[in-house]
Amino acid sequence: MLIGFNFTLNATLDMVQRMIKARQIDYCELLIDNFLHVPPKELETTLDCPIAFHIMFSKFLESDDEVLGKLAKRIRILIDALNPIYVSDHLLRFTHEGRCFYNLGEIDYETQFDAVRRRVEKWQDLLGRRLYLENFPSIMEGGWDAPAFYRRLSKETGAGVLFDASNAVCAKHNCGAPLDLWNDIVETTQHFHVAGYAQSFSAPHVIVDAHDREMAPDTIEFLSSMRSSFDKPGATITYERDINIDYDSIAVDLQRLREIFPHTQELEHADLVACAS
Amino acid sequence: MPILSPAPARIDADLYADLIDPARLATYPRESRSYIRIDISLRAYWHTLFDTCPLLLDLSGPDGASIFHPFMAWARQEKLSFDWTYFLWVYQWLAQSEFRDRLSEELLLSMMTASAARWLGYDRNVDDLGVVIGTPLIDGVVVGWKMDSVYCGLNQVERLEFEEPLPAPDGLFGYFFTPSLRLGHFPGWRPIPR
Repeated sequence: MLIGFNFTLNATLDMVQRMIKARQIDYCELLIDNFLHVPPKELETTLDCPIAFHIMFSKFLESDDEVLGKLAKRIRILIDALNPIYVSDHLLRFTHEGRCFYNLGEIDYETQFDAVRRRVEKWQDLLGRRLYLENFPSIMEGGWDAPAFYRRLSKETGAGVLFDASNAVCAKHNCGAPLDLWNDIVETTQHFHVAGYAQSFSAPHVIVDAHDREMAPDTIEFLSSMRSSFDKPGATITYERDINIDYDSIAVDLQRLREIFPHTQELEHADLVACAS
Repeated sequence: MPILSPAPARIDADLYADLIDPARLATYPRESRSYIRIDISLRAYWHTLFDTCPLLLDLSGPDGASIFHPFMAWARQEKLSFDWTYFLWVYQWLAQSEFRDRLSEELLLSMMTASAARWLGYDRNVDDLGVVIGTPLIDGVVVGWKMDSVYCGLNQVERLEFEEPLPAPDGLFGYFFTPSLRLGHFPGWRPIPR
């Protein structure tokens, strides 16, 4: 298992470079839509490790085709130049009747399959790479429908699942959807996310994917208990921290991940890409 | 911990229309996931506004309610999109509210800066590299630049003044995008999109 960290803004550059140098991480996951106008060569020389691409605001389920096409063209230049381990995105609602959500919406898994399938096929085609799509930290009952939806979507489009372990734990707490529903996806997909979650402000019963603290004990237990299903050739797990970015705290969690997934033999970038594909 | 009932809604999509509407929150049972889900959504709008422009709390008091609730109701009426222009529309609302005589240049600049920062953080149109926001209320403009280097400083939003000032926009605010990371051409002000 390769362990990575999410690099979302240049403010954390020094810390990420320190992690790379200290071999605390094996790769770096770039929130690539924040770096669209940075020369690829600069990204390559700045981050001396394999990289992965995570796309946050393509809004590919809703975006205008022309805007999406231009965005894909730009990302493809970066893909060709940097050869990421994987390219990932989200299944999310960003707007409703023209109004933007600031806390993004979960899609309707029951009625939207065909529309989502068409957009995934289009976006994947535009990018020219297999897409890995992240699962949602459900609050409502959609958490029950999500695993079957992702399974079918994967089968019909070839897209993979970027399985976020802590998002699945959030859904289990909030709507009761058992982690077991994801078992076959954990067994088959290669790319994972994990982060800390928090209790919601007004109800401790409901938890949110906060990325602001260390991993919860039940998330660690989930990873540990299914360690052999998560770990496989070419597998990656990205640790996400976007708030309270404290090196020592992040280092503690990276070490926890390393203990669950002991260091694999170091691979060259080319080997990683071969594994991922 | 017991799992709260989702009722009266079942899935997230059932709540989409109410995720931006504080007035609807009270129609849901307090001990339901629907209520909590909407509350989480509304807090995102609150924090985006007041965490970014804390000067607003000097006007409203610490809970922000006297700005947040009437603005959100007005925004719904006006069908505002809550895109990068959120802060500019809040200022526009303030300018015709009970707070209109207490608006400082510092607050205005912070709202223009916040809008520019939101644009460069969330806009993914690869043809546009900068946003320029102007107002007749201050000299110069506020400009936001998308990141072109991992080594660039955090200050990607700046206030610029010109030897030959640009004409003032017709409305309270105007904007234009730039196709490169320099200001070489003035295409004219566009009205702030809703």
